Amino acid sequence: MAVTTYSGAEQYNFDIVKKFAVMSLVWAVVGMFVGVYIASELAWPFLNFDSPYFSFGRFRPVHTTSVIFGFGGSALFATSYYVVQRTCQTRLMSDGIASFTFWGWMAIIVLADISYVLGYSQAREYAEMEWPIDILIEVVWVAYLILFVGTIMRRKQPHIYVANWFYLAFILATALLHTFNNLAMPIDLLSMKSYSLFSGVQDAMTQWWYGHNAVGFFLTAAFLGMMYYFVPKQAGRPIYSYRLSIVHFWALGFMYMWVGAHHLHWTALPDWTSSLAAAFSILLLMPSWGGMINGIMTLSGAWDKLRTDPIMRFMIVALSFYGMSTFEGPMMSLKEVNALSHYTDWTIGHVHSGALGWVAMITFGSLYHMMPKLWDTKIYSQKLIEWHFWLATVGIILYIVAMWISGITQGLMWRTFDEFGNLKFSFAESVAAMMPFYAMRAIGGMFFLTGTVLMTFNMFMTIRQGKRENAILEAKLTAKLANA
Amino acid sequence: MSEQKLQSQTVQTTGHAWDGDLQEYNNPLPAWWVYTFYVTVVFALVYWTIYPSWPIGKGWIGGASSITYVNSAGETKTHSWNTRALLVKELNEASVAQKPYFDKVSSMSYEQIAKDPEMNGFIISAGKSLFADNCAACHQSGGQGVVGFFPNLADDDWLYGGSFDKIHETLLGGRRGYMPTFSEVLSGAQIDQLANYVASLSGIGHDATKASAGNVLFHSDTAACFYCHAVDAKGRKDIGAPNLTDNIWLWANVPAVQGDVSKVAAIREVIANGLNKGVMPAWAGRLSAEQIKVLTVYVHELGGGQ
Repeated sequence: MAVTTYSGAEQYNFDIVKKFAVMSLVWAVVGMFVGVYIASELAWPFLNFDSPYFSFGRFRPVHTTSVIFGFGGSALFATSYYVVQRTCQTRLMSDGIASFTFWGWMAIIVLADISYVLGYSQAREYAEMEWPIDILIEVVWVAYLILFVGTIMRRKQPHIYVANWFYLAFILATALLHTFNNLAMPIDLLSMKSYSLFSGVQDAMTQWWYGHNAVGFFLTAAFLGMMYYFVPKQAGRPIYSYRLSIVHFWALGFMYMWVGAHHLHWTALPDWTSSLAAAFSILLLMPSWGGMINGIMTLSGAWDKLRTDPIMRFMIVALSFYGMSTFEGPMMSLKEVNALSHYTDWTIGHVHSGALGWVAMITFGSLYHMMPKLWDTKIYSQKLIEWHFWLATVGIILYIVAMWISGITQGLMWRTFDEFGNLKFSFAESVAAMMPFYAMRAIGGMFFLTGTVLMTFNMFMTIRQGKRENAILEAKLTAKLANA
Repeated sequence: MSEQKLQSQTVQTTGHAWDGDLQEYNNPLPAWWVYTFYVTVVFALVYWTIYPSWPIGKGWIGGASSITYVNSAGETKTHSWNTRALLVKELNEASVAQKPYFDKVSSMSYEQIAKDPEMNGFIISAGKSLFADNCAACHQSGGQGVVGFFPNLADDDWLYGGSFDKIHETLLGGRRGYMPTFSEVLSGAQIDQLANYVASLSGIGHDATKASAGNVLFHSDTAACFYCHAVDAKGRKDIGAPNLTDNIWLWANVPAVQGDVSKVAAIREVIANGLNKGVMPAWAGRLSAEQIKVLTVYVHELGGGQ
C-alpha cells in the first residue's frame, strides 16, 4: 500500500471532506434502514400500521433519496473534494463555497425526506423533490460546479488526472439533467405543488432521459472517478491504460445520453425511439466495461493483496458487480427480454446489483482508504472490515437472487395462458407467489445494513482514536516547548 | 495474468505523476474489447434494420420485420413491425382459442353450461380473470366480500336473488342499496328498541323488554320497517331488502365486534344513519354479453347459486 506520510492538513481543505465523509455514513445507515423497512413492509404488510406516514409510497423516495443523494452524494462530494485537491496539488478555491455546498446539500436531503413523508412528491422517480427543493438543488449544484472547476483551474499539475474528468462529467451532466427534468410550474408561490411543463409521452421521455442518466452520470461516471483514484492508490500500482480511460470516458458519455427510452419499452413511446434506445444500450456495454477492465487490470499485479487487504476486496467485488450489472442492463434493454422483465422485481434486483454491488462497495472501499488518512491514524479494527465485507457480500447475493427468481416468476405468471386462451393467473396470485422472495430480500437487506452499521462504528472509533493520538502528540509538543 | 503482468511492466507510463505515486501505464486498448465493441456495432445495425429505428423527416425507417394478423373483419393485414400490430396479433391468438367456447356460451342455456364439464372448466378459467379484473376490487378475490361494504358472493344468502336470471340482471343493470336515515324520525330510545328486536331475530343477546317494544315499532307505521324487510323480517328480494333473521350481516359490522352490547350498538348505528353506499355499477356496455354470461355462471358457482 502506498503510504503518504504527509497529511496535508494545512495545504488542503480536509475539514469539508471529513464532514461529507461522516454524513455519508450517517445517510447510509438512515437510508438503508428505511430500505430494509419498506422491503419488510412488502413481506409483512402489518408494518404499514394503516398510517399514510409509514406507507411504502412515501417511504420509498425517502429510501432512494437518502441512499442515492444522501449516502452516494455525500461520498461523491467528499471524495471529489479530496481527489481534486490531492491530484491538482492545490486547496479548494473557496472554503466558503465548500461549506455552503455541505450545509445546502444536507438541508436538501432533510427537506426532501420530510416532504415525502408529509405526502409531497413530483412523482418523478429519483426526482421526487418538489419545486422549492429543486431550486435549492440548482443553487447548490452550480456552487459545486464553480468550486470544482475553479479548483481545477488553480492546479499546480499540468495535466488533469482522469478521476477529475469523471467527476466533472458527473457534475455537468447532473446540472443539465436536473434542470430540464424539473421544469415545472408551481400552482401557487405558497404551494409545494407544481405541474411539469411537459405532458404525456414527452414528459415520460424527459423523466427517463433524466432517470437513466442519473444512473449513468451520478451512479456510474462519478463512482468511476472514485475508482480511478482509490483503486490505484490502494493497490499501489499505476492505472492499467491511459488510452482506455480516454476512449471509454468519451464513449460512455456519448452512449449514455441515448438510452433512457429503454425504460419505456412497450408503452405509448414511438417504436422507433425505443429501438434506438435498445441498440444504444448494447453499444454501451463495452464503454461501460472499459472502466471495469481498467480497474481490474490495475489490481491484477497485486492479486496477493486480496488475501490480506479487505479494502482491496471491496474494490474488486465492486468492479465485478459493475461488470455484471452493466452486462445485465443492456440485455434487459432488448425489447423481447424487456417484455418479460418490465414492471417485475427483476428490475429492482438489477438496480440493486448496481447500487449495492458497485456503488456502495466502491464507496466503502474508498472511505476505508480515505478516512484514516483524513484523521491521520490507522483503522480501528481490520477484523470489523472483514465482517463488513462478508455481511455486505452475502446480503447482496441474497437480495439479487431473490429478485431474479421473483421477477422472472412474475413475468412468466403474467404472460401464461391456459388451454382456453385465458390468462392462467390473476395479478393477486402473482403477488402471493412473491412472499418468500420478499422475505428473503428483506433479510438480504438486513445483512447489508448490519455491515454498514459495523463500518460506521469502526469509523467512529477510528476518528476517536485519531483525535486522541493527535491530542497526545500536541500535549507532548507543548511539554517539549515548555521544557525548552 | 502473468503475461499481462510482464506486458504492463515493459509498457511505459505516460510520464505524469499525481499526488506522489499516482501514475498511468499507456497500454494499448485490449484487442478483445475493441472487437467486441465492433460486434455490438454490427448488432445495433442489424437491430435497427429489423425494428423501426432512425427518424427521417416526419417519418422513420420502418424496419424489415413485419407482423401479420387477421382483423375483426376477417381480413389478413400485414404491417411493418410495431407494438400496436403485435398487440392485436397476440390478442387475436388468445381469442382464437377462446372463440369456440364463447360461441358455445352464447348458444347454450345456463343449465346446459353448468352441467357440461368442459364448459365448466372454461367458465372457471375465463370467469376467474374476468372476476379478478372487474369484480374482485370490491367483492375480493374469492368473492367473500367485506362486511360493512361489499356483499359476500360465496355464501347462499342473496339480496336480489341467486338464480341465474337474477345474477344476470344484477350484472347487467347494477344495483343501488338504500335505507333511509331514522335518527331524524325516531327517538334514540326507539332506535335502541328496534336494534334489540333485530338482534333478537338472529339470536344475539338482547334486552327482552326493549325487543318486544321494538317488535311493535317494527310492524307499526311509525317506523314502517316491515314495508321493506317484510312482516316476517325475512326481507324482500324484489327490492334487495335483506333478511334480518339469518345472522348474516352486510352493513352492520356485527361479526367483528365482541359482546352483545357492541353487537346491538352496531345494528343501532345502521338504523340511525341509514345507508346510501350500496352501489354496484352496471356492466352492460362495459363487458360483452358473453362475458357477462360467463360471470353469471362463475358467480353462481362461487357459492350458493339457486
